[in-house]
Amino acid sequence: MYRTEPFVVSAYSGFGEAQACNQRFRTLLDWGAEQILVALDLPTQCGYDSDHEMSTGEVGQVGVAIDTLADMEALFDGIDIRQVKRIGTLGNSLGPVVLALFAALGQRRGIKWSDYTVNLQNDPLKEYIARGTQILPHGPAARLATDCVAWCTEHARHWSPMTVCVNHINAGGAGSSRATAIALANALHYIELLLAQGYGIDQVAPLLHMFPDERHDFFTTVANLRALRRVWARLMKERYGATSSEAMALRTTVYGHGQEALQEPLNNVSRIAFGTLAYALGGASYVYIASYDEAVSTPTEESVKVALRTQQIIAHEHGFSDTIDPLGGSYFVEYLTNEVEHQILAALAEIDQAGGAPAVIDSGLGRRWMSEGAVRRQRALDSGARPWVTVNKWPQKGERPDTAFRIHRESAEIQQRRLAQVKAQRDPQRVAQALAAVDAACASGANMVPPVLAAVEAWVTVGEICDRWRRHFGEFTPSTDF
Amino acid sequence: MDSDKRIRVLIAKVGLDGHDVGARVIARGLIDAGMEVIYTGLRRTPEQVVRAALEEDVDVIGVSILSGAHMTLLPKLRRLLDEAGAQDIGLIAGGVIPQDDIEPLRRAGVTQVFRSGTTVQDIVEHVSQQYGSPA
Repeated sequence: MYRTEPFVVSAYSGFGEAQACNQRFRTLLDWGAEQILVALDLPTQCGYDSDHEMSTGEVGQVGVAIDTLADMEALFDGIDIRQVKRIGTLGNSLGPVVLALFAALGQRRGIKWSDYTVNLQNDPLKEYIARGTQILPHGPAARLATDCVAWCTEHARHWSPMTVCVNHINAGGAGSSRATAIALANALHYIELLLAQGYGIDQVAPLLHMFPDERHDFFTTVANLRALRRVWARLMKERYGATSSEAMALRTTVYGHGQEALQEPLNNVSRIAFGTLAYALGGASYVYIASYDEAVSTPTEESVKVALRTQQIIAHEHGFSDTIDPLGGSYFVEYLTNEVEHQILAALAEIDQAGGAPAVIDSGLGRRWMSEGAVRRQRALDSGARPWVTVNKWPQKGERPDTAFRIHRESAEIQQRRLAQVKAQRDPQRVAQALAAVDAACASGANMVPPVLAAVEAWVTVGEICDRWRRHFGEFTPSTDF
Repeated sequence: MDSDKRIRVLIAKVGLDGHDVGARVIARGLIDAGMEVIYTGLRRTPEQVVRAALEEDVDVIGVSILSGAHMTLLPKLRRLLDEAGAQDIGLIAGGVIPQDDIEPLRRAGVTQVFRSGTTVQDIVEHVSQQYGSPA
């Protein structure tokens, strides 16, 4: 990976309303961040506008609120998006909407899509078992996600419109090998939907990235990334007949973590640095990193700076990134890589047997693997079998007053005001036409991105588009299993 | 524990927060300790949680919340419970909740807040002591 340059130093950031958040983005870029992934608040991620009843208390809390294109413009105001390596967001359940917002941002500025790069997570399937921002039943959700990939094959081949995640499934307890298998099954499901529409594997595979995760064992982390790349290459070549090296080479995004604790939170700086180093040595392409106070709240500016500097130190000092695969050939790492590869393939075979990615959700297999693992993990921590300094070893009380980051009290009001203003100024006829085109694409199965792009350009809100989807496709049913 | 005196607990997710691993681990831990546990599933409004608590006749509601909306949603939940005449149903919470918020939450009737690093056993003991019938 690092033959020409080290991993891309990336920041996942967002809070409050767009104007305040824009200042944070500018600061991050001043410090040297090369990529910005916008953290959206939960109402946006779940397809509700800031004035919706379900948004009460949540506006701007875990990310920035985006209701319309006006918010996107405020968010990137004064930032030359061509100078940033990638911009993007998660948007797992509203792929076409966030893709359209980023595409419209360039259009409004007269910048060609070829002159900047957008990255989306846009991986709805894992939401049903792990992250929980699902809006629709998973069938139509997967279709909308693949519409983004299909659209990019024609209009923006160098964008990365889908990042299939191991991260949240492992964090939820599945364990990194099983979580990797579930994520691979999800990726294969998206790929097969695209192949069924007539796209070729060499066309679509390079547009997919993965987001691996192993946060407890340094050497298993390195092995996991090495094994995942092997498995991916073989699946693309042997299962789907890929011939281009781009289709077989897997690019990865990672989020550096340690076993962060609330007690003496500064210790998390070293935990996170070690976790991130493992990803770097495993050859991750795009690296994000936790801030040491994330167990408390949204990170403060100071802790974000420490996180960013930690990435830059790993990327540029100590020679960590001078050599490709520096641990290759180590007896232990080679053994672990084979071991992890076997585990991933065995779990993937189990999933294939059960009926693939949709069955992981519908049969409860995914949640069962996660619950079992989460209980096992909690027992290991409670009993001390898994050491945790300041928690179960040399335990300390977490009573120190926190310096939790708070969003401005008036964020939600500012946001709701901007939304009301946009609604008052837009052309209602254009809005109605745009929403009718969204309805038509729901019914016909045509690619959803073009009508949604026209809609966001007509100042239609995120919630209004998602409401049309809810009306056509229905809503997901929450699971009450545990 | 006598079966008809089992503590009944409603584990709830309110608001849009989609992280429910903690909620499910606690639910299993309470079951293992002999309690009866109902889980609401994701994305419930305070009104829906109150309705479930009344229908299931629970002793206590344990809310898991990591989204930062706790200062709005938890006091609202307590108020709705009280308005429904369910002053006797306890309300406890766990999740990503800053230290500074714990005291105001207590004053709003959230009697206990568990943060990161709490063991399942700590929670089991608290619920048994506070909501179990006297021996």
